[in-house]
Amino acid sequence: MADILHTLSAVELGRRLAAGTLTSRALCAALIARYDVLNDKVGAFTHLDRADVLAQADASDARRQAGQGRGPLEGIPVAIKDNIAVKGQPLTCSSKMLASLVSPYDSHVAERLRAAGAILYGRLNMDEFAMGSSTENSAVRKTFNPWDLTRIPGGSSGGSAAALAAGLVPLSLGSDTGGSIRQPASHCGVVGLKPTYGLVSRFGLVAFASSLDQIGPMARCVEDCELLLAVLASADARDMTCFGSDERALTAAGEAKKLRIGIPKGFLGKGVAPEVAAAVNAAIEFYRAQGCAISEVELPSADLAVPTYYVVATAEASSNLGRYDGVRYGHRSAQASTPVEMMTNSRSEGFGPEVKRRILLGTFVLSAGYADAYYNRALRARAKIRAEYLAALSQVDVLLTPTVPTPAFKVGEKASDPLQLYLEDIFTIPANLAGLPALSVPCGQSGHLPVGFHLVGAPLSEAKLLAAGRLFEAAHGFAHQQAAL
Amino acid sequence: MSSSSDWEVVIGLEVHVQLHTRAKVFASSSWGFGQEPNEQVDPVVLGLPGTLPVVNREAVEKSILFGLVVGAEIPARCAWDRKNYFYPDNPKNYQLTQKDFPVVIGGSVEIELPGPSRNVMGEHKHVRIHHAHLEEDVGKLSHAGSGSLVDYNRAGVPLLEIVTEPDLRSSAEAEAFLRALVAMLTQAGVADCDMEKGQLRCDCNVSIRHPGAPLGTRTETKNLNSISSVRDTVIFETARQIRELEAGRTITQETRGWNADLGRGYVLRDKEDAHDYRYFPDPDIPTLELSRATVERLAKQVPENLFDRQRRYMDTLGLPFTAASVLVANRELAEWFELSVAAHPANPQGIANLVANDLLRDLSAAGSTTGFDEAAPAPVSLSSCPIKPAQLAGLVKLTDEGVISKQQAKEVFAEMFKSGQDAAAIVDAKGLRQNSDTGELEKIIQEVIADPAVAKSIAEYRAGNEKAINALKGPIMKRTQGKANPGLIDQLLRKALG
Amino acid sequence: MAEGFDIDHLAKLARLSLTPEEKALYSSQLNSIIGHFQALAQADLPSSIDDARVVRESALRSDVPGPSLGAEAVTRIAPASRDGQISVPRVVDDEA
Repeated sequence: MADILHTLSAVELGRRLAAGTLTSRALCAALIARYDVLNDKVGAFTHLDRADVLAQADASDARRQAGQGRGPLEGIPVAIKDNIAVKGQPLTCSSKMLASLVSPYDSHVAERLRAAGAILYGRLNMDEFAMGSSTENSAVRKTFNPWDLTRIPGGSSGGSAAALAAGLVPLSLGSDTGGSIRQPASHCGVVGLKPTYGLVSRFGLVAFASSLDQIGPMARCVEDCELLLAVLASADARDMTCFGSDERALTAAGEAKKLRIGIPKGFLGKGVAPEVAAAVNAAIEFYRAQGCAISEVELPSADLAVPTYYVVATAEASSNLGRYDGVRYGHRSAQASTPVEMMTNSRSEGFGPEVKRRILLGTFVLSAGYADAYYNRALRARAKIRAEYLAALSQVDVLLTPTVPTPAFKVGEKASDPLQLYLEDIFTIPANLAGLPALSVPCGQSGHLPVGFHLVGAPLSEAKLLAAGRLFEAAHGFAHQQAAL
Repeated sequence: MSSSSDWEVVIGLEVHVQLHTRAKVFASSSWGFGQEPNEQVDPVVLGLPGTLPVVNREAVEKSILFGLVVGAEIPARCAWDRKNYFYPDNPKNYQLTQKDFPVVIGGSVEIELPGPSRNVMGEHKHVRIHHAHLEEDVGKLSHAGSGSLVDYNRAGVPLLEIVTEPDLRSSAEAEAFLRALVAMLTQAGVADCDMEKGQLRCDCNVSIRHPGAPLGTRTETKNLNSISSVRDTVIFETARQIRELEAGRTITQETRGWNADLGRGYVLRDKEDAHDYRYFPDPDIPTLELSRATVERLAKQVPENLFDRQRRYMDTLGLPFTAASVLVANRELAEWFELSVAAHPANPQGIANLVANDLLRDLSAAGSTTGFDEAAPAPVSLSSCPIKPAQLAGLVKLTDEGVISKQQAKEVFAEMFKSGQDAAAIVDAKGLRQNSDTGELEKIIQEVIADPAVAKSIAEYRAGNEKAINALKGPIMKRTQGKANPGLIDQLLRKALG
Repeated sequence: MAEGFDIDHLAKLARLSLTPEEKALYSSQLNSIIGHFQALAQADLPSSIDDARVVRESALRSDVPGPSLGAEAVTRIAPASRDGQISVPRVVDDEA
């Protein structure tokens, strides 16, 4: 049985664990064995504490024996992106700056996972400080797309997506600021959800852009995503922007077949590769055939989304990353005869190029004389974008687009042109700006590379998105898919 | 010190006050003086990756209470901003503060200047508050050999920064303002203002102009931690700026420090980018709605303004300025005094005299006199006062009724303070009831008058020297073992002498 | 070059030191990115800024002290410490 465990969904694993035909120890041992064979190739994980995992598994099995199973994820491993704090585990954000940091506290989501009985399974590679769309900006290692090891898995939650696609773990956590869950999900042929802003506590998520960041579930099928989301979404007094769980977000409302789907005008023309367009169009036709009303919606400020995002996100990031100065924790430079020198050198040695670029850009858009022209205007543009999306979503239930215009590119292919990469976030960024829930679901292939489509809903409409995703999944063969490695 | 010749000095103050709370303003660790370094630091205070601020309700309420005390506007909403700058004592390298939407807007503080003499009340004036905002304090740096050390215990302590309009015109006004402010803050329970513990710091902005002219360039002297250093800074900086301007030079807008030991100000090292704080609204703290229900609830906690109380004591109770001034400086004491008056309303001055002098002296005996204001009365604790207000009233009543003399009353008071007993009980125990028997007294007076030793004094008195009569009183008192009612002695003696 | 984009000034504000190669590369890359922001500069925008969320006092925390990390943990995480305090190179002026 051990040889198929890695192919099973979390829901199916949960059934077998509950039935007693599987132990958490056996499951984890099987996954560890697979990790030992594959992680060097794929590079999804930066850290796995085998002894700790097996100890957690044993404790879970003991609880279950004693009839004291904690919750819906009892005994099931969940891998965690390395920017989400787990007490006693590294919190490196794949950066040299935090290479030595071991978190002394648990994030809210880590507490929730423990309370649900989950096994906290390893640390996943990412773009440094979540800045990037390919995971090439990791200072620790490279992660490769399991579907084609010469290509990137997407980013910044590249490790989270690759681990799923390589069958290394059934569930993972990612974080999403401009598409960092959904885009790698699309590139790796798995499911990824960015929740409504404020649904999942950010306490313990290393901040990149505070008003945009959200932690979200990633899995190989929609049902597993739903299972994980229910555990993550809960009130947390330690995050003032988190309003916590809301029944509406989690319980299915209405029938998926009755959904009204809006296609933003002109989106399929925006540099979308033909095979991506074809796969997404096929998805649209599928829904139409099911009885969903399909209409075109106008989003006049769509072109403002990318510039608005890069002004707001880099501004917030430049401030959030100010704390990394070598004084209290993290990397401290040996070249340090004055505090200014120490901070400057620690930061310069600790940060990679993309992080430095974004800090410089963020500093610029906030600087005296320029804040009005850039930052303040961006906040106003954001209000306009949000208003347009909410207006559109009062006429339709979900908006549907591709997740990414093109499939996974080759490692190194886009390293020299950051702007080009930024422009590819065109479909995912608006959901972060507007605080809306958004889901990426696999819908086809471009050659051998996965393609995903992207659904955005009104605030707290996760249930509708997931229902739409399940409807699609049930009629297609993309759920549970894994690369052959 | 007022400005010389035709120069006018214009002063504005920014007072940073640590609010009276148990936990920090954006983090939940405790704070307070005297802890070992870095023992009051949690992940949020330290700025560990992934941590977030959560606003302390008590800090907001104390800020609102301050606003109500000074008659300010409490807006419908307030919000926090980030002030970004790098410094080792600043854990996140940004400070959470309020730039655009502070919690308190406007208001004013009534101040009292020194009068022409100690016993005469000085002029009153109102100093406008521009606004007050709630922010976090930073850690403490100390220097050790070739390095520096940082203790983050103070990082995150709630600070209310109170900014005045440039309404002050002299060092005396600056002093008076700070004195009044400290009294208002402590009396409302907003802050303890204990200078020894660094709970109140002041930045002082000074500029010079000819009267009627536009405001001159100002300098800012930072981190003054006593009223005397604020006063001295104003004097020093006024003189310095006048000197500069009269020599034909201009004033540079600069940030300065004050060296209390040398009694001089100095320029702080110029930081080129110190002024680009790149403020923006903190995305981790949503805009906060300040409910009118909360404002109304807190309004009930606003104590009587100390100068209103002082006026009431002087106008309604007939107290002299000195006594009234001493009583209102301490809210607990004033309220204690009022309870005592309620028990014996006929002689508030008598009660005030005992409270403002004897009681205060005895209560303060053990305390120290260091505070932000070295000239302020020492903090006293009335909760452990051995005498109850009604008991003091009882003592004054006995004196008013002539049962004991004022002299004896002091003796009884001392005993009351020691034992906590009622005055009447002590009087009886010591057999102090005054001799008010007229007949016996007249007899003693006649005996004393007949003594040749006082003949000269009698002659002087009869010749018009009022004071000479006092020479006879001593012997009379001696013969009555000090128990005779002095008023009665005086009355009968004058009658006997004609 | 984007108006006002002074990489030396920005690097100083951000406490970053850049090699000449980095300065040249980042300047050029960032200028092209900022060039893309022109859509923002020219757009017709509403006057209000995005402030979707307002909280009531119920979101505030009670004034109850919580646990601290302890000086031992703080100094253990710190790169350098002495006598319970975090050590840094000598600070020259005392201004905050």
